[in-house]
Amino acid sequence: MQAISARGLRKTYGPTTALAGVDIDIAPGEAVAIMGASGSGKTTLLHALAGIVTPDVGAVHLATPMGVVDVARLSDAERTRLRRERFGFVFQEGMLVPELTAVENVALALMLVGAPRASAIQEAAMWLGSLGLAGMEDRRIGQLSGGQAQRVAIARAQVTGASIVFADEPTGALDSVTSAEVMSALLSATVGRGRTLVLVTHDEQVAARCSRVVRMRDGLLVDAGAGAAGAPAASPQPAGTLAPPAPGTAVAAPHPAYGTPAAPRVPLTTEQQWQVRA
Amino acid sequence: MSALRLAPLMLRPSTQGAAVLALPMIAFGIVTWLLGIVVGGARAFFTWTTPDAALYQLLAVVALALLAVPLVSLGGSAARLSARRRDDRLAALRLLGATSGTVLALAVAEATALALVGAILGVAGAAATSPLIGLIPFAGEPLGASALLPATWSIGLAAAVTLLAASSALLSMRRVMVTPLGVARRETPARVHWIVIVLAVAAMAIVAGAFSSFASIGAALGVVAMVAVLGVGFGIAMLVLNLLGPWLLGVQARIQARRASSPVRLIAARTVLESPKAAWRQVGGVALVTFVGVIAGVGSALLGSADAGGEMTLAADIRTGLIITIVGSFLTVACTVGLQQAASILDGRALSRALHHGGMDVSTMDAARRWAVLSPLLLVVAVSAIAASVLVVPLLGMALLFEPVTVLITAGVVVTGVVIVGVGLLVTRPLLRRVATAHVATA
Ligand SMILES: Nc1ncnc2c1ncn2[C@@H]1O[C@H](COP(=O)(O)OP(=O)(O)OP(=O)(O)O)[C@@H](O)[C@H]1O
Ligand SMILES: [Mg+2]
Repeated sequence: MQAISARGLRKTYGPTTALAGVDIDIAPGEAVAIMGASGSGKTTLLHALAGIVTPDVGAVHLATPMGVVDVARLSDAERTRLRRERFGFVFQEGMLVPELTAVENVALALMLVGAPRASAIQEAAMWLGSLGLAGMEDRRIGQLSGGQAQRVAIARAQVTGASIVFADEPTGALDSVTSAEVMSALLSATVGRGRTLVLVTHDEQVAARCSRVVRMRDGLLVDAGAGAAGAPAASPQPAGTLAPPAPGTAVAAPHPAYGTPAAPRVPLTTEQQWQVRA
Repeated sequence: MSALRLAPLMLRPSTQGAAVLALPMIAFGIVTWLLGIVVGGARAFFTWTTPDAALYQLLAVVALALLAVPLVSLGGSAARLSARRRDDRLAALRLLGATSGTVLALAVAEATALALVGAILGVAGAAATSPLIGLIPFAGEPLGASALLPATWSIGLAAAVTLLAASSALLSMRRVMVTPLGVARRETPARVHWIVIVLAVAAMAIVAGAFSSFASIGAALGVVAMVAVLGVGFGIAMLVLNLLGPWLLGVQARIQARRASSPVRLIAARTVLESPKAAWRQVGGVALVTFVGVIAGVGSALLGSADAGGEMTLAADIRTGLIITIVGSFLTVACTVGLQQAASILDGRALSRALHHGGMDVSTMDAARRWAVLSPLLLVVAVSAIAASVLVVPLLGMALLFEPVTVLITAGVVVTGVVIVGVGLLVTRPLLRRVATAHVATA
């Protein structure tokens, strides 16, 4: 069972072909890096998988507790809801609400899916703490460094228990040391807890830490990467982290506010940070 | 690379549509038109030689001042919007080798050109409508042709508006150049100094005190002196309101931010808290109009109860002037809200898009924006209605305040103000939707 799989994705913008027929399968617990030259269609593929754009042709099958849905056939409103409830996003530059504090930015994601404020703030603070941002909860976004802001964004992407996190060049604006730290945080917060990570990057070092690297050229997947047969990459689970979901129940439980009770979300410690190829 | 060669790039239609081009131009047009009419009318009084002339001239200057301040700040907002409209092109232009000086020059030139077109249209509009304005009776007779602004004055007015636009655009762009994220990057919200609040309250108390003793000694003074004292008193009160407004909004927002239980309310309160002054700029106009409206209402009630006589015409003229001022202020408020909203939507477009990608409904963003304006609006309208009443009661007594005419006029002004602000929010809604759902090639 795949977490998400796409068949025959095509997307054109006027004369430009952004996707020229892409098939891809992503298993639960995988960390997939999408690489390729600028303009090769990486962002478009990520957006099509995440239901931000609909492909002209093709299907995107997503496993949910209610069964498999074709993301490409959902209405705008349904796709927006899906993104809010099941996916997490990390962008190149934080994209946090500058008027809110760090902890409020994270809590906002929970409040948007119906969690009451007090518990949302509490949970958000826990996530910030586990990502090494304890004591910075009440900082405004302008008072954070780029790496810190990205970690707030990672917390926001995972606080709702999203089963898949999509990241478009999450380290693109960072130096190499900070980039490595943010990557550790991102991996431990996602695949380290059995979630799935789909990430676009230009950085080979960042890609190397993922369990699979796929490459694009001119809107096509030219290299589906090792381990593409569907099995998740070997994912050593350090003691203390959550077990990955059992096969067949691929999708993580949604937030209690709108679905079945979630597994307890245990804050991570740095020792628990999970690195595939460390 | 020369500015000339890059100009076509800047002028290419942008994703934000024609509205963003038209909005500042319309605003400049309205600013110039209103200023033209008001200056023209005020000028007419200065041609008078009757004994009353001095009083009318004084009142005209007061009305002009009441309108000029919001009009000038509206002009500033319009310039800011037109300058920032295309700052998404700045990066692209820089990549093409444009220096930041070139980019700055292009943006300012564009804003100035828009202002010039708007100003010319506005001057023409003022000339076209001056026969109508000439029909308005003052001192028992229509103003007539003297309300028409002479050509030299018109040219001067258009030049002044264009110059204002150019300097506002320059200032605004400089800020953008220094910090690309503009205001959004500011680290701590601005606070109003406590001294200001103490002074403001003291001034208000002095005016109220003066008014309550005025009721007994007022009769001994002449009409001109009476009106002058009242004018100065109310002027001070409105100035105080202007100073206290942002502070009040900050206090309200701080309480709301603490209590907010929904994302919409939390974002709205934090937005106001980020810059209470910016919030005040959008709703302050309605507060001031409400203030004037209460006084106009009480004045009308007074007029209804007073017996006929020479002072009857004066009172009627003052009421005419107040109505013109209120209508003009409403137009200014409508434009200001529309422009400010459009500008802040454009400033925050990358974030709106990202939040929508993350699953936030556009309607949620829209609601947050709505609350960030409407909740301050309701507060300031209530406060200014109360402030005006407090000043009027010692002068004229409680009874007039609750006359049906007073209540009707006050309610009419308040409802119109709120509706106008609502319309300003509504017309910018499609822009928010377009910005948040735009598919752009870059992530
Ligand atoms: N909204 C759009 N309108 C027009 N063309 C677009 C749009 N989005 C993408 N494209 C085009 O589709 C192609 C693929 O774009 P995409 O953003 O997916 O590339 P990318 O691989 O993410 O590039 P980069 O590494 O530069 O981010 C490009 O040629 C791009 O110009
Ligand atoms: Mg991209």
